[in-house]
Amino acid sequence: MERPRTIRRDDGLWLLQRMRLIRQASERIARLYPTDVMETPVHLCIGQEAVAVGVCRHLTDADKLFLGHRTHGPALAKGLPLPKLMAELYGRSTGCSHAFGGSMHLIDLEHGLPGSSAIVGGSIALGVGAGLASKLAGADFVGVSWFGDAATNAGVFHESLNFAALQRLPVLFVCEDNGYSNVMPKSAHAAFDIPSLADEYMTTMTADGTDVLAVHEQAGEALAQIRSGGGPVFLHCPTKRWMKHQGHERCDIVGNGIDEQRDCPIRKLERVLLDTHLCGAGELEQVRLSVEQQIDAAIAFAESSPFPTPAQLEVV
Amino acid sequence: MPWSRFDSNYTAPTGGRRITYCEALREGIDQAMGNDQRVFAIGLDADDKFGVFGSMSNLSFPERVLGTPISENAMTGVALGAALSGLRPIHVHLRVDFMLTAMDQIVNYVAKWQDMFDHQVKVPLVIRAIVGRGWGCGAQHSQTLHGWFAHIPGLKVVTPATPYDAKGLLLSAVADDSPVLFLEHRWLYKNTGDVPEAIYTLPLGKANVLHRGERLTVVASSLAAIHALTAIEAHGLDVDLIDPRTIKPLDLDTIVASVQRTGKLCVVDYDFPFGGFGAEVCAAVTERAFASLQTPPTRIQFPDRGMPSSGVLERAYYQTPDRLAAAFGALIEGAPVARDLIGAGA
Repeated sequence: MERPRTIRRDDGLWLLQRMRLIRQASERIARLYPTDVMETPVHLCIGQEAVAVGVCRHLTDADKLFLGHRTHGPALAKGLPLPKLMAELYGRSTGCSHAFGGSMHLIDLEHGLPGSSAIVGGSIALGVGAGLASKLAGADFVGVSWFGDAATNAGVFHESLNFAALQRLPVLFVCEDNGYSNVMPKSAHAAFDIPSLADEYMTTMTADGTDVLAVHEQAGEALAQIRSGGGPVFLHCPTKRWMKHQGHERCDIVGNGIDEQRDCPIRKLERVLLDTHLCGAGELEQVRLSVEQQIDAAIAFAESSPFPTPAQLEVV
Repeated sequence: MPWSRFDSNYTAPTGGRRITYCEALREGIDQAMGNDQRVFAIGLDADDKFGVFGSMSNLSFPERVLGTPISENAMTGVALGAALSGLRPIHVHLRVDFMLTAMDQIVNYVAKWQDMFDHQVKVPLVIRAIVGRGWGCGAQHSQTLHGWFAHIPGLKVVTPATPYDAKGLLLSAVADDSPVLFLEHRWLYKNTGDVPEAIYTLPLGKANVLHRGERLTVVASSLAAIHALTAIEAHGLDVDLIDPRTIKPLDLDTIVASVQRTGKLCVVDYDFPFGGFGAEVCAAVTERAFASLQTPPTRIQFPDRGMPSSGVLERAYYQTPDRLAAAFGALIEGAPVARDLIGAGA
């Protein structure tokens, strides 16, 4: 399918700002991480920003997003304020989880993020539960289950898709397929084709997960179907993970085929914005600088925030 | 029936309506659903004609009773996701053994969700499971496992012994804003007792003294409490019998106060022995009331192996009121207790 090359200016700028927020915050985290100011494992999203941002542009605060361990990108895209993320990584009381969660357990009830989980697969079921709650309560929010390609190995993946399809629940399944389970390639962890399998259960769409306009368009179609009562949709987004599974270093898997010029979702969008004269080069640079300032402020907030006290370990 | 009498703190009105443990559960669930439209029930075979051994038959709100595929792990996550999205689910399992496929969700998700986010969220989720032996059911249809679940921070574990407790504790569990595991012994389902028709709740974490005595403290929950009471009454034993009602939170104060009077402790715990509820009670009482203990605490539990099937083996594996009475009698007299009377195998 021909990739969409046009976008409304406000959508284009929003997509760019959120992708830059995720990218630049991740790069800053990677730079600071070796100093041990963040005592928590980090699973960075550099290279995968398009999936989070393209989907979340269509979500409201009422929609409930359940994440796995690679949280920062989709959480920021959904609306988690960066200072609350940074403070959580710094182990401060002002963090989104009050320093009890760390990188893998982010929450923001105001923005429809009821928590995230570090056990691969299980949170898929929680998004289905949100969809069930919406249906039983006659509400209009949707549940979103967010996971990677390796989560499709788990039984809970099949159980969740099956139940959502049987009950025709308002659930969007987003598979952020970066092709690797830690360092194990998909060819070694899945004997099936992910979208073909998903298609056995429900409407399945695929979008290039390095192209935010493609994701944005497909996610829009998927959510329109879900919100009109058409049942769950599976959105498969092949993308590329530039970093190691965990930590601050670039991925060193031989032959993973990443070209940071060609595959960069931010460069791709910026090119479209320039080519279609929606933005000028100066404006794009202004976005970058503005995000850098937000990151400076978020880190200053985190560094100046209090640590929790051991008294907070009291049994509730 | 002897077990219709209760401690004065939480007295079941006598002379009123008598219904079974199963009917008390059904009424509690029906009233919970009628009282709050956010309450719904979900589970394997939850909506079929058998109605979970009758405990969910002919409920008033069938549109809020959902049967599921055999997918206990994901369904636990679904129930949790619904609880986090404003509803109050009751997830039911025909046997606790089936629930074990959901241990990832129960231990990693349900139990941890509030601690992980510093209790910014409520998790009003009740997980019901029928526990205990059937009839020749063997090792995978007979477990209880309450001690094992109580080990996990973030789970309340409720083990009602009587119809009055079944309804009152069920309604408390549904009203609670944190996860509650509600374990019902199959062999109690047909027992009858006085149960008020109106909605009432019993506190989670408050024990029930089923019998007053001076020479031995017995702690027993669920079916074990009923067996112990039967033994005590049939043989006129001078025993203080405490049913904790909830394994967690545990009403240790009531137990310790009793041991300080009697000087002796026996825990009858129909569960596996190693690192279990019996060990926990013995350790906690020893820590708090060491000076009061005249003899070492005693545990009566299952042998440390899976359940058999043959009736001959079952009768050796499981305790009976008569054997409990023999053990209590020996403990009161300070005589040695035979190994087979404490579940250590013949």
